[in-house]
Amino acid sequence: MSLDTNRSNDLSKSKATNIANTVNHNATQPPWLAELEQRSRRNQQTFIDHISSRLGRPRATEPPIHPFRGAPSFWKEWSWEEQERVERFTAHFQEVGGHVVSVDNLEAAGEWIAQYAQDLEAREIVRQQLPELEQLRLEQRLPDAHLAVWNEDQQTDWRATAAGADIGIVMAEGAAAYTGTVMVTSSAMQGRSVSLLPTVCIVLLYKKNLHTRLGELLVPLDQRGRQQLPAGVHFISGPSRSSDIENDLTIGVHGPGIIYTLLIG
Amino acid sequence: MSRSEKTSATVKERADIALNNDFLRKAVRFTTERLRNGKQLASTEHGNWDEWRERGRQIRLHTIAHLDYYLNLFVENARANGVHVHFAEDTAAATEIVMTIARHKQAESVVKSKSMVSEELHINHALEEAGIEAVESDLGEYIIQLAGEGPSHIVIPAIHKNRYQIAELLSKDAGEELPPDTTVLAGYVRRKLREKFLDADIGMTGCNFAIAETGSMVLFENEGNARMVTTVPKTQITLMGMERIIPSWEDLEVMATLLPRSATGQRLTMYMSGITGPKRDEDSDGPEEMHMIIVDNGRSGQLGDPEFQELLNCIRCGACLNVCPVYRQIGGHSYGGTYSGPIGAVLTPALNRNVAEWDDIANASSLCGACYEACPVKIPLHDMLVYLRRRKVERGHGNRWESIGMKGFAILMGNSKRLGTALKMGRILQKPVVHNGTISLKIGPLKGWTTYRDMPPMADDPFRERWSKLEQELQQDQVTMDATVKDRMEQLVQARQRSKRGDFDES
Amino acid sequence: MKVSLFITCLSDAIYPQVGEAMVRLLAAHGVKLDFPSVQTCCGQPSYNSGYWEETRTTAKTILKAFQDSDFVVSPSGSCTYMIHHYAELFKDEPEWLAQAQALEAKTYEFTQFLVQVLGMTDVGAYFPHRVTYHPSCHGSRLLGVKEEPMALLSQVKGLELVPLPFADDCCGFGGTFAVKMADISGAMVTEKVDHIKETEAEVLVGLDMACLMNIAGNLRHRGEQVRVMHLAELLYEGVAVR
Repeated sequence: MSLDTNRSNDLSKSKATNIANTVNHNATQPPWLAELEQRSRRNQQTFIDHISSRLGRPRATEPPIHPFRGAPSFWKEWSWEEQERVERFTAHFQEVGGHVVSVDNLEAAGEWIAQYAQDLEAREIVRQQLPELEQLRLEQRLPDAHLAVWNEDQQTDWRATAAGADIGIVMAEGAAAYTGTVMVTSSAMQGRSVSLLPTVCIVLLYKKNLHTRLGELLVPLDQRGRQQLPAGVHFISGPSRSSDIENDLTIGVHGPGIIYTLLIG
Repeated sequence: MSRSEKTSATVKERADIALNNDFLRKAVRFTTERLRNGKQLASTEHGNWDEWRERGRQIRLHTIAHLDYYLNLFVENARANGVHVHFAEDTAAATEIVMTIARHKQAESVVKSKSMVSEELHINHALEEAGIEAVESDLGEYIIQLAGEGPSHIVIPAIHKNRYQIAELLSKDAGEELPPDTTVLAGYVRRKLREKFLDADIGMTGCNFAIAETGSMVLFENEGNARMVTTVPKTQITLMGMERIIPSWEDLEVMATLLPRSATGQRLTMYMSGITGPKRDEDSDGPEEMHMIIVDNGRSGQLGDPEFQELLNCIRCGACLNVCPVYRQIGGHSYGGTYSGPIGAVLTPALNRNVAEWDDIANASSLCGACYEACPVKIPLHDMLVYLRRRKVERGHGNRWESIGMKGFAILMGNSKRLGTALKMGRILQKPVVHNGTISLKIGPLKGWTTYRDMPPMADDPFRERWSKLEQELQQDQVTMDATVKDRMEQLVQARQRSKRGDFDES
Repeated sequence: MKVSLFITCLSDAIYPQVGEAMVRLLAAHGVKLDFPSVQTCCGQPSYNSGYWEETRTTAKTILKAFQDSDFVVSPSGSCTYMIHHYAELFKDEPEWLAQAQALEAKTYEFTQFLVQVLGMTDVGAYFPHRVTYHPSCHGSRLLGVKEEPMALLSQVKGLELVPLPFADDCCGFGGTFAVKMADISGAMVTEKVDHIKETEAEVLVGLDMACLMNIAGNLRHRGEQVRVMHLAELLYEGVAVR
């Protein structure tokens, strides 16, 4: 994997270093799909040229100067102290029905989860396959529960495993206090289903990764560039909810109705 | 919109049905009030709201002004991510692509998350005709799908239904009696749709924003159903209006600030998901194959049109519906199209290029401007409604009687002497119909007015007739203007003259 | 200094007392108004209905009427705002365009004129009544007249101002809308009057006779006794009584 951190709007460059996320479909594509692809490339020319002509000018090929990129400048310049970040994050996450628990370290987190799982009488637990989560030592702490580690083998139907789990445990890559949001990403070891399909979702978050503004999580995604982006970046701000029936709040419609953030450090 | 309702010819006829439906009006009022109060609180709490709106507007204006560049960039990047991108100029083309994919996937069922574009294309109908089950998974969408209707609100599709009606629909679906309890009803839908998600061959979504620089798509939602749709089925099809683009993730911060606060008063929706291509080879979930269909369907008609291009800035938050005093009275279905409320009143005719078919949706507005004030990207919908009316007139589709009336109006008002004479004549002519200082005659164009109100008669002495006497009287004892006031006025006039000359006003 | 009254056709024909109140109130503060009688209507009815050619005809009477004025003052925020559309109407006629821009710059709605131009919020009025205020949409939202009427009302001695629930909601007038979409408009004005009744105010005050005509019409139709006044009338009455 090349560590190309340039903005990916440099297309010539990303084409030249065409690796990583670029999937080569042509080799394995069935004929109908190859035919759709060919048609798409033909249509692209007409479609985009039509836009240019409606805009009354020749096709723009150079990146335009974007003077208003991102939030207003006064917004980009401020942040809260750590104590306030923790307080605000907690308040905002709880306000919408989420829970926040502060623990000193992974050991304490493991202890808390084990206790919680016992209280819930959880039988099925699924977690991401990450070294930190191993340190929770849940296997030892919960000998009676079945503990699945995402994508540990090729045979298991992992989606079904997650769907059947009482608890899913994931690590957050970052969080924003202002909106009360944790950011969870996907990879082979970090299935999207783990934070989505179980009844309860537990998110681990290191205090040092708790930022103030959402922009502090978003700008780094631009900096990573297309090729280094995970397939799924999920910003989660509380339990699944709906207000579709008489604007009456219901928790836990499709995603987890119970969500905890364990704030570590 | 159920198909039978749609056959009512005019917005007026459809509105009559709604106006006589007390429950509907109460339900819509109740929820829109909550939503607009929520928005008010959230935007006040956030602060500097107008600066954020202006920022949002600028980002949208910039992107649309360079849409050829950004859309192309998005397409190239999405392809490089492994997405199959398709282009559809209209409903037929989009439907054909969806059906081709579904056929080759031998799909039996499609599970959908909320997508206004799919409503616009009537995709469910096409799928069902081909014998493919299409299941809406957003709770509100699922409810109206069971009712055989379309959404009556961009964000809250079942806003017009109460819990008893919903319990009835879901009980029929469940084959057992469900109580009208929100938790029980939502719990039933959760269980039912879990199976649908796991069985579905194709997941279909809309797209809130597409990030040009990385080829990613972003979805905002609260229930988790859009995450389900993009996680569980093997094939994903995303329908996207061609204007959904923003340049970068950094720009997304502005949209994420404006959209949820404007739509539901939330700091952020419970889920905001950025999806960059199908699942990676080693992943054990996520779609193996991902298609994106970029839809024009009348949108390009607004490009390059100075009066309507800003319509493409819309982020589909529904804030204009929640503040609209007309929407509150008549609900969404009265608008007769996929999009309702002020945005629908403009967008529906704008997407439909046939001016003669514009019907009278653009007339269903008092031009109060509440929509503009609420709009997070400051689209001047109240002005656009007037432009629509003007274009209809200019192209010779104006109402015949109205055209005659307006010509008469111009003749009368084009000359003050004619107006003066008319005022005199009016006074004489109105005599037989004025009783107790009011006109309550219910005939002709007056009927609409007098059904709900009394009409004041013309004054015995209009101002222009009073003036000379008044002027003389006041000349008797003139008061001298305060020196400071006089000074203020003179300075204002000077400042005006300076700015007219283009000088800098130093003050 | 020539300050001219832009009476608006509605006040001219139906509510001349509003114009008279303005003239007398301003005269009491040394502002002598002038009334160019060639003025007719701002053209809003035809503009909003899409008949712009017809609108230009009537707009020209306004442009001609106020050519030589230093200030123009009007009892309607809506008609004042209509003048802001003139530049767009005459964009292809440079001579008229220049006049349109000049007129826009010197035209003020009544409360704007008092507060912004004269710098006056206390006109010395006494009005011992329970009053509620309806902010008309065009004046408050489009022209931006929000604080001026509040500043003026707060200085009236004896006046008890009761907030109107959902005050910002349109009353349902909307010009030809009230006739074309009579039932929707009727539902809107009914709701507005329901809220006015909730305030138990004796007087409803506003800044636009079109909206007030609509609301008063519904009040009267329902047999309600609430008195409906333009702010100019209220202030003048408050001064005169004193």
